[in-house]
Amino acid sequence: MSSTHSQSAGWGQKVIGVARWLRRDLRACLSLGFLLFLVGVAVFATVIAPHSPTAQNVNNMLLPPSGAHWLGTDDLGRDVLSRLIHGAPATLYASFLAVSIACLIGIPVGLIAGFVGGWLDDAISRVVDTLLSFPAIVLAIGVTGALGIGLTNGMISVGIVFAPQLARLVRAQTLIVKQELYVDAARCFGASTARIIIQHIVPNAIQPVIVQVTLLLAASLLAEASLSFLGLGVQPPQPSWGAMLARAYNYLEIAPEQMYAPGFAILLTALSFNALGESLRVALDPTMKHR
Amino acid sequence: MLQIAPVVVLATFVVFGLMHLVPGDPAVTLAGDYATAQRIEEIRHAYGFDRPLLVQYWSWLSGALQFDLGKSLQSSELVSSMIAHRFPNTLIVVVMALLLSMAIGVPFGILAATRSGGRLDAAITSISSLGVALPNFWLALILVATLSLGMGLFPATGSVSVSKSWFEAMHHATLPAIALAAGGIAEVTRQLRSALVEVLSSQFVRTLHAKGLSPLAILWKHGLKNVSVNLLTVLGLLVNRMLGATVVIEAVFAIPGMGSLVVHGAVAKDFPVVQGVVLTMVILVVVTNLLVDLLYTMLDPRVGRE
Amino acid sequence: MDKNEQPANLLAGLEGQALDRRQVMALIAGAASAAGLLGSGSAQAQETPRKGGVLKVATPTNPSSLDPMTGRSGYDHVQLYTMFDTLFEWDYQALTPKPGLVKAWKFPDPKTLVMDLEPGITFHDGSPCDAAAVKFNLDRFRGDARSNIKSDLASLDAVDVTGPLQVTLKLKAPDTSLVLVLSDRAGMMFSPTAAKSQGADSDRKPVGAGPWKFVSWTDNEKVVVTRYDKYWRPNRPYLDGIEFAIITDTNTGLRSVVTGQNQFAHALAPQQKVIIDRTKNLKGMATPTLFVHLFFLNYGRAPFNDARVRQAMNFAIDRDAFNKATQGGIGEPANTLLPKAHWAHEGSLENAYRYDPAYARKLLAEAGHKDGLEINIIAWNDQRSVQRQEILLEQMGKAGFRLKFQQFAVADATAQFFGADKKGDAYLAAWTGRPDPSLTLQLMFAKDSYFNAGKADPAPGRAEAQQESIAVEASADRKKAFSKMQKIVVEQSLTVPIVVQYDLQALHEKVQGYQPNLLGKPKFETVWLKP
Repeated sequence: MSSTHSQSAGWGQKVIGVARWLRRDLRACLSLGFLLFLVGVAVFATVIAPHSPTAQNVNNMLLPPSGAHWLGTDDLGRDVLSRLIHGAPATLYASFLAVSIACLIGIPVGLIAGFVGGWLDDAISRVVDTLLSFPAIVLAIGVTGALGIGLTNGMISVGIVFAPQLARLVRAQTLIVKQELYVDAARCFGASTARIIIQHIVPNAIQPVIVQVTLLLAASLLAEASLSFLGLGVQPPQPSWGAMLARAYNYLEIAPEQMYAPGFAILLTALSFNALGESLRVALDPTMKHR
Repeated sequence: MLQIAPVVVLATFVVFGLMHLVPGDPAVTLAGDYATAQRIEEIRHAYGFDRPLLVQYWSWLSGALQFDLGKSLQSSELVSSMIAHRFPNTLIVVVMALLLSMAIGVPFGILAATRSGGRLDAAITSISSLGVALPNFWLALILVATLSLGMGLFPATGSVSVSKSWFEAMHHATLPAIALAAGGIAEVTRQLRSALVEVLSSQFVRTLHAKGLSPLAILWKHGLKNVSVNLLTVLGLLVNRMLGATVVIEAVFAIPGMGSLVVHGAVAKDFPVVQGVVLTMVILVVVTNLLVDLLYTMLDPRVGRE
Repeated sequence: MDKNEQPANLLAGLEGQALDRRQVMALIAGAASAAGLLGSGSAQAQETPRKGGVLKVATPTNPSSLDPMTGRSGYDHVQLYTMFDTLFEWDYQALTPKPGLVKAWKFPDPKTLVMDLEPGITFHDGSPCDAAAVKFNLDRFRGDARSNIKSDLASLDAVDVTGPLQVTLKLKAPDTSLVLVLSDRAGMMFSPTAAKSQGADSDRKPVGAGPWKFVSWTDNEKVVVTRYDKYWRPNRPYLDGIEFAIITDTNTGLRSVVTGQNQFAHALAPQQKVIIDRTKNLKGMATPTLFVHLFFLNYGRAPFNDARVRQAMNFAIDRDAFNKATQGGIGEPANTLLPKAHWAHEGSLENAYRYDPAYARKLLAEAGHKDGLEINIIAWNDQRSVQRQEILLEQMGKAGFRLKFQQFAVADATAQFFGADKKGDAYLAAWTGRPDPSLTLQLMFAKDSYFNAGKADPAPGRAEAQQESIAVEASADRKKAFSKMQKIVVEQSLTVPIVVQYDLQALHEKVQGYQPNLLGKPKFETVWLKP
């Protein structure tokens, strides 16, 4: 089966495989490129940004773009471009934190529910259904309220909200793989449960999960923006794209252009995550190769 | 029926637990500007906040089962009448958004599927990716700045009750519906396209084509009927998602709907309001899913047999 | 260092001279607003008010209750004043006490207040507003389980009816603040007949003696009142009715006036003045209020139990820049808790603090914090508050204060700082003002008051001055006591006032006769509509 094949395939071949894929799929190439660029911006933010993101100047409020400020200044005279750049690390951190939490909770739960089955599966599925019946952001607001306002707490709550989706997906995949012959074969040979899960179920169930994780990265990004917009996200002085949009809302009539820079940043990043996810889905699913 | 009850009850318990986990004191809020230590204690006792949590929950639940959702802590208004009042404002936006999603998403999906692999397909797929990645409140801000404040075509904010004027109500709901629908259009297009492509390239359909059946007939008789199941799934998903997204949209457009009710209630720790609204939303989602499941079995007998 | 930053020494050098920059600007601002007020006044002097029309008002908050006794928010007054007349009223500009339902009053001795009511006043349900009704109300406010305002009348011992229209109040201790207290909630007379029959429904079925009577209240949407034909003041009110549209978001509220949906909006954000100014048929008014942005300090424990650290806070804020950035330049930098227009404002303290980060650093070093100090601040999570937090972070950072904010929703934040948990060293919030200044000073600084987080009273002489201010009756005498108290507060830096927020109101050109008041809660009894 493909799992045992890829395990013995060696890293060199994997890298070549990835390179070939990128050359074929323009969309994957562009989106991955943009994301890597973003990571670079986030890591080197302090070096790249032309000004400090927090340096205020009440005499230069809401200026249009100029030589000194390529994207103008905001309501406290701060350089918009620098804030945008320094918002990148918070944004990326937010998405990855939320998705990590979702994986940390959702994947094991899904694996256990699918593998063990029986009443445990029923109970878990019931709880998962309950959580899924909440509109996501409503639950996030509730959990944030319980944990306290802040970026980390907000993202933990988003992670908790996304965990059931992952759990359900992983459970479904586990059920499918469980029925494959080779699992029975392994059991006949006396392999322990843990071994079966790690060596056989996870590698085969993982592919749709990888796709889902990429899509969840985009969703987390949008969730962070929404929470910050509602005042439940990032705290000063850390800039965040969602909070920049929230501030722009108050100046919609006075300075409508304030909302474009952070909005585009969010859009491009979410788009890249999504595009990457779609490309991965196509690449990893053998039956879709000829579409 | 039996299946949804535990889910709904569990949901309300989760919310109840969450609200009470929050550090902070509703009694202080209720005392407001006139807080003194003594007054806060009096209020705490008068509202029963000093009772054990489970007792408070049971008291709410038993009331809810008799359709009494209690009174708002903030304004003493009946929660059930608050919801009844605000629900139509949310409903009109969500329904318009759903209709928009279908009206644009279905033709897009069909076009993309029938011209699969071509340039139109690529264009439509790209646009739908955009729709999913777009922060819907950003779209809302842009719509307000351009179509409303800029060109004056639509009112910027607020909502008008349907009972007053159908036209006015829809006029106010248009921009919010568009903002909500962006993601919906994308989702419908994408799901429909992939499901339709799968059907159209199946052996069965290819045989029909070879036999000389017109593409339109194939599309209608075999294509759409088969993918109606997928459409229903998407609808159910969209209802859930839109009820959530409406929270932010209502904030941008200052619509007095369920979304803004739950945000204000959560922020002010108005327990009865939050629990009432969440209960309503959860029931809506669960009932929608039930209906979807029901329609599944009607449309596709194979599903029922699983 | 930004080249636009003024060296602090320049301002310090000007102190003590006849008029420094701030004073000149204050004069100009005062003249401008006076001109604005005069402008509207003189325009109305030329036209006669006419009766008729319904005024549509965009107001930002839903009332917490329409029963004065059970409400808890300072913003309810906008609706309450339309339906409830108060025993005493105040001068719009300076808030000095005036007759209301009470036409004359006197303090025969410091512990007795005798009030004579106007004759012929009836409640909206027809029952008379006489001495018996007043007694019923005051007893109800003091004794009812649902009353939030018991503390307002804490000094009352007994209420006696000494004539059909005369009420005598016996006090436990001298309390001249009672007069202005009775211009607020505690003076809003509710019909006894209605109160008795309604019980807990009184929150939603108000029956007062004001110019308009209650029609309906749809939560978070509308409050509607209509003319009371038997209002006791002749020829009033001019307006047939008022419809309050509750629009929480001020951007939306102003837009509704721009589009003509509503004709009056108040409590707008100062940044919105730009929009009003560029809209043709709108007039804007920015007038002072009692609303002061400030830091509450917990000086019952470190670090603020050291007066030098408190002082340093006050010297670490550039109030002018703060005013410019967050108040659109409209507000009034504040060193005390009362605005300039208030009768008890202490002029000599207007420049007590200046922006001097170097001096602040020196004070911190003296107090043992050579490398600066980190303080935890409880704050609100709405965007305007975040903006205030950001600017203070920058300014105070230069003085060695490292601010760390913990955000909560407004209601929560208050509970966190003042409640059992006592979180945070300081609370960035606001004081909404009280009808009598002694209440403000008492509620904020008395040892066991709820709003004194640290439950400490480090200022010698404060409590005595407090007693003095309510023992004497004449405004001039009370002002002396308030002067003493405010000086003590400033010396000890018990609080950190930042700016007085001005109320920005937007009026459609049809709205005539409106007079803003210092309390910041619009009253409409002089308003009439041009056809």
